[in-house]
Amino acid sequence: MKFINIMFACLFMSLAMFIHSAKAEDHAVSATQQAVQPSDDKAVQIVTSCDGRKKIIVEGCREGEAMPEQKARKVAELLMALMEFCELEITAKIPKTGMAVQLSVNGEPYITITDIGELPLVLVHGGKPHTEREKRIWAAEMDRMIQEGYAVFHDSALGTNGISCDMCHPDAANTHPETYPKFQTQIKKAVLLRDMINWCIENPQEGKKLAEDDPRMKALEAYILSARAGEKLEPGKH
Amino acid sequence: MSTKKEGKHKQSLYPSSAGISRREFLKTALATGVLATGAGCAIRVSTSGAQQVEIKQGTNGFTIAYISDSHLLARGKEHRFAKALIKAVEDVNNLKPQPDFVLYGGDLAQLGLREELSLGKDIIAELKPKLYMMVGEHDWYFDMGEVWKEFFGKPTYSFDHKGVHFIVLNSVVVEDYWSEAKMTPMERMLFMAQLDNPKGRPFTVGEEQRKWLSDDLSAVSKDTPIVIFSHSPLYKYYKAWNFWTDDAEDVQKLLAPFKTVTVIHGHTHQVLTNKVGNIAFHGMLSTAWPWPYAPEGIPKLTMQMDRPDPFNQFDGMGWGIIDTLPNGHVNKTYKLWERNPMFVSHEKVSTGGGFVSGHSY
Amino acid sequence: MLGIRIKSGIAFTGAIRNAVQIFCVVLGVACFPHLVAFSQPKGDSFALNLPPGVLEPIIPEDNPLTKGKVDLGKKLFFDKRLSVDDTVSCATCHDPEKGFADGKVIAVGIQDRKGTRNSPTVLNAAFFDTQFWDGRAITLEEQAKQPVINPKEMGMSSHSALVEKISNIPDYKTSFKAVLAADQITIDHIAGAIASFERTLITFNAPFDRFIAGEKGAMSESAQRGWQLFQGKARCITCHEFNRSYPFFTDNKFHNIGVAMKGKDFESLARKAASRGANPSVLAQEEGSAELGRYVVTKEPKDIGAFKTSGLRNIALTAPFLHDGSEPTLESVVEFYNKGGIPNPNLDGGIRPLGLSEEEKNDLVAFMESLTSDDLPRLVSGHNP
Repeated sequence: MKFINIMFACLFMSLAMFIHSAKAEDHAVSATQQAVQPSDDKAVQIVTSCDGRKKIIVEGCREGEAMPEQKARKVAELLMALMEFCELEITAKIPKTGMAVQLSVNGEPYITITDIGELPLVLVHGGKPHTEREKRIWAAEMDRMIQEGYAVFHDSALGTNGISCDMCHPDAANTHPETYPKFQTQIKKAVLLRDMINWCIENPQEGKKLAEDDPRMKALEAYILSARAGEKLEPGKH
Repeated sequence: MSTKKEGKHKQSLYPSSAGISRREFLKTALATGVLATGAGCAIRVSTSGAQQVEIKQGTNGFTIAYISDSHLLARGKEHRFAKALIKAVEDVNNLKPQPDFVLYGGDLAQLGLREELSLGKDIIAELKPKLYMMVGEHDWYFDMGEVWKEFFGKPTYSFDHKGVHFIVLNSVVVEDYWSEAKMTPMERMLFMAQLDNPKGRPFTVGEEQRKWLSDDLSAVSKDTPIVIFSHSPLYKYYKAWNFWTDDAEDVQKLLAPFKTVTVIHGHTHQVLTNKVGNIAFHGMLSTAWPWPYAPEGIPKLTMQMDRPDPFNQFDGMGWGIIDTLPNGHVNKTYKLWERNPMFVSHEKVSTGGGFVSGHSY
Repeated sequence: MLGIRIKSGIAFTGAIRNAVQIFCVVLGVACFPHLVAFSQPKGDSFALNLPPGVLEPIIPEDNPLTKGKVDLGKKLFFDKRLSVDDTVSCATCHDPEKGFADGKVIAVGIQDRKGTRNSPTVLNAAFFDTQFWDGRAITLEEQAKQPVINPKEMGMSSHSALVEKISNIPDYKTSFKAVLAADQITIDHIAGAIASFERTLITFNAPFDRFIAGEKGAMSESAQRGWQLFQGKARCITCHEFNRSYPFFTDNKFHNIGVAMKGKDFESLARKAASRGANPSVLAQEEGSAELGRYVVTKEPKDIGAFKTSGLRNIALTAPFLHDGSEPTLESVVEFYNKGGIPNPNLDGGIRPLGLSEEEKNDLVAFMESLTSDDLPRLVSGHNP
């Protein structure tokens, strides 16, 4: 992460240079630009990071020309994102038009991403992205657990008096999993979500507590957490 | 306060004899000397728990009690839902003076089974004041209201009491979701019973009943105060939980010409206050369990009840008192168990001042 | 020893206790201190020695703790001359040998006059938010002022009468002057000294405390099961709050568990109490109104018949139990809760039948017996009642 600071400095200076068409000079810290004129007149600018491990080939821009601001921002954003993978040598190609960016990692063949958000998927495994099948398995297994939890949540069988979780918590309203651990006023100490789930099973539902590794407990947590996806983590909040 | 004397209980959908206007009532009452003395003096209403509210008992002002949403299971009188309904009945019976009548706001049973409705019928039979019944979806969708009608009569009717025209609706009518899917009665009921059912159909009053309502209202003068009892709110609060009446605007349009209209509803199991146009809406408590406030759509006028404590089997639950004022508007008191009562006056509703809106959780 | 029952798996004699203390100190392990150290950092000021993590009790700013006050307060606490006929001292109803309570169902004051409430223990009272069963006094100082003028307790005609009486005792005149630089004694001086002494009556180091600190063998198996029930099926902990920061087993709130609901017409009593606007301390002493509990202070309907959750430390020493002393043993208290209290219109919704087995009930009793502190003999000895 310490590269970020250096890299920020790099980027700022280099962007300034691009936009004002200054020639690359020997500053204290700077990114370099090279002019490479392929024989087929396809102009490119190449932006290299200070440590030399990241290279972005920007197609459609000539050396010495100011990059359009949009493109410059995209280059900067991409370079920032790539810098997080310090160990890897990455070359990226940004086409003249379109969203697809081609990446080559440690000399491996290029792969295409359309969104910078995909980078961890791709780069954490050294440039071998997860397959579609894998991604579908993840989603299906996750969904199965959540559906199990949904079923248990809406079933009064955990208790003995006919009360089910959804009676006080329709759509998992008012469960606030994002506030755990917290001091639970009914239990009088700081507890996790699963402790409160068990408390509810024992008290309002008059049932028997679940073992912490009971699949039903895990499924309940999965459903409750998925219902509150996107909420800020605020442990301790009342 | 008279108890079982006043009010013609209409069992029919046909508005053969309309409610008389307040003016006519007063004329008759004065002529026959029926009115109680002491009109216009302030008295302290003493209830079990020493309620501190003072109301002016005018010539036509009167009090009714409201119990609702008991969701009984057929597990005998020791089950906590049954204990809660018994508690409400006892509280009402201990009111001094007794209310003119009690309105039961629907969802007496949880799954609409004969045993559940029977148990409920037994418990509410202990109520001393006269009792009017209103149906909720939990009472209806197991057998489409067969047992309900057998025990409690027609679900839609109106009557007059001390110059106020009362209407009781079945506002939980939904489009047929069960025939094509060939659901069994229990499947149909369970589909309806799940509040957060993503496939649930919205409640309506429905065309047939709106026509009945229009006819019923046609014989009522615009000056007569109207109070409508409805299970669903007759406005739109939160669709995902069916805190909603889909044809609310149509119903409200029928009520718009009347000077004084109040809707008292159940189903939402929480303190709710709303005003749309000239109509005040009051959501009442459940005896069985509290619903949380919805993520959005809470009416601005609502002063929310504090979050209930699940350690306490009665917290956030209770019943209510509706004080009908001489001008036909209502004040309401939420008789929250374990807490001090919450009083909302008509004045507050009409001026709309000083309420905290938004999520309480 | 001194009539105190210490029931635990291990009986600690003085010698073993000292050895353990040295052992703890030597190893630098955070043991609960055995003695309340008379440490005096600056001048005379007195610090309470609390186990690590326990929150300090609230001490009013105008009555900081000093050794002088503690000693003077102790003298006053045991002095029968604070009553009108010289027969009753604080220690009469708050007897060190009886867990700082009196073993009676209802407190008895001068001339055998019977009050309306069971005497609560003074032990650890410093940690309560309010004093008395109905919380009508906030501080220990405020509390101390009431029994002295209560006709059924110590019977002085007024605070000034007490002040005059005390001022005419040369010994006290000198002490007050020395300790408080008071030429003129006031009731606040007196109450402040008594309160200061009471603040030192704190106990930790029960077998339960050692168990919580990690010594698994400190509590019997039965008591350990009882502790689990206490937090779970028996639902005790939600009102009888315990955690490391506040280990006193009370939530400081007021609950109606139906104790004295037998045949009382609460509605008319409540209305009477509300309309008279009478002083809570007067209402608390009247036969009928006393059972209204917290209501006499707040006049809120939800508080009818509600009484403060008592603490449970040393509970085995302070029978009989509940605000009217109506439960003679810990077993009968557990059974009272097991049955779901006594139904009444205002019964706290947290009370419900528990369905405990005989073994479970015994476990709960064993747990409560493990709350008796080993500090007590030291607190008790050296007092000459």
